[in-house]
Amino acid sequence: MARISNRQIVEELKAGNRAGCAHLIQVYQNRLVSEAVNTFRIAIGEAEELVSDVLLAIVNKIRRFEFRKGENDFHIWVMTVFKNKVRDHVRHIASTGLPMESYDEMEGETNQGLSRCVVSAVMSAYQDALNRERDEDTESRVSGKLRAIAETLEQMETWERVLLRCRALDVPYEEIAGYTGKPVRQLKVYHARVKQKFIARLAKQYPELSSSTTVMVAHEA
Amino acid sequence: MKRSAVDVLLQVAYLERAITAHGAYEGSVLRKKPRTLASAAVQKVLEERLAVALEEQAVPVTVGSFLKLIREEQKLRPQELFSRMGVTQNVYRMLEYDRISPLRISADVWRRFAQLFNVSSENLVALIQRTHRLVFFGPSLQITLARYDARKNKAMKKETMRQAGEELFLRANLSLPVQEQRKLDMLVKAIRDGD
Repeated sequence: MARISNRQIVEELKAGNRAGCAHLIQVYQNRLVSEAVNTFRIAIGEAEELVSDVLLAIVNKIRRFEFRKGENDFHIWVMTVFKNKVRDHVRHIASTGLPMESYDEMEGETNQGLSRCVVSAVMSAYQDALNRERDEDTESRVSGKLRAIAETLEQMETWERVLLRCRALDVPYEEIAGYTGKPVRQLKVYHARVKQKFIARLAKQYPELSSSTTVMVAHEA
Repeated sequence: MKRSAVDVLLQVAYLERAITAHGAYEGSVLRKKPRTLASAAVQKVLEERLAVALEEQAVPVTVGSFLKLIREEQKLRPQELFSRMGVTQNVYRMLEYDRISPLRISADVWRRFAQLFNVSSENLVALIQRTHRLVFFGPSLQITLARYDARKNKAMKKETMRQAGEELFLRANLSLPVQEQRKLDMLVKAIRDGD
C-alpha cells in the first residue's frame, strides 16, 4: 500500500474530500490508540473514545492548520492535540483520586516504601492544585506543583535524564541509545538504578519525608 | 494494568509541560508499530463522524463570511485588510457583515480582492451574486422578522428564525428582478474584462 503523506491528508481534508478522513484514520487511529493503551495505560474503550475526539478536533480545526517548517508539522500538531486530551483524562482521574494500588514496584528496588511516599506526596500536591477552584492561574499552579520533578532531573546527568524521560514515554531503548551514546544493554541495566536515584533526590524536596530520605541516600552512597 | 510509579510521575510532568522530551517521544510514535488496534466497528463509526464534521464545516458563501473566515484564520485585524483591498474602514466593515451590496464596490476593488485572496473569477462571481442577493432581499427578511417579533415571541426564537431566513436566502436560488440582474451582470462583465 502506498504511503500516505501528511500533506496529502491535509490537502484532502481542506478540500472537503471524504478520502482525507479515511486516510487520517488509517495513519493515526491505531497509532494513537496503541499509545493511549500501552504508554498511558488508558483502558481500550476509553482510549478509542479519546482518539476519536482527537481526530474529530483535527478535522474541525483543519482550516486553521498551515505547514510552516515541513511535512512533520502535521504530526506534531496531531501529537499536541493527543497530548492535551490525554492530559485532560489524567487530570480527570487525578481529581477523583489516582489508583495508587495499581502501580508496579520498581524492579530491584530496595526501598519501595520511599518511592511510594514520594510519588504520593507529589501526586497529592498535584491533585490539590487540580481540585482548587479553576481560575486563570490554574495552569501555572499545576505546573508549579510539578516543578520539583524538573528540578530534580536537572541535577542528574544528561544521559540519566534522557533515559528516565524517554522510558517513561515508552521510547525504545534502541532510540535512547542513539540519543545518549550508551549501549542498549547498559541502559537496560541502569534504568532501575537511575529511577531509584531520581526518587532519592526528589525526596529531598519534601522535608516531611526526611527520615526515609536519609535511609535512601545512605543506600545510594 | 500495572506500571511503575516513577513513570507515572514523569508522564504527568510531561503532559503538564513541566518537563519535555524534546520531540523524542513524538518521533518514536511514528516509528513504532501499533501494539493495540482499534476495533473495526469503532473505525467505521469514526469515519462517519469525521465525514459529517467535514461536511458541516463552515464554507464561506458570501463576501462577508469569506472575509471573516480569512481574518480569523490568519489572525488579522480589519485594519490590515481594508487598506490592502483599497476600501475605507466603514465599507470594509459593511462588507464583512454583508450589509452593503457588492454593486456599490468598483470592479477594480473586486479584481484586487481576487488577487489578494487568490480567489478564482468563478468563485468571486458566485460570492458577489450570493452577497448581492442577500443584501437585496434583506429588507423583506427584516419585515418578516418584525412581524414575527410583534407576536411577542422570545428573543431566542427570533434569532433562530433570522439565521434560518438568512440561510434560506443564501441557499435558495431566488431570481433577482430584471433590472437588478442587469446591474449585477454589468459588474461581473467589468471584473472579467479587466482580467
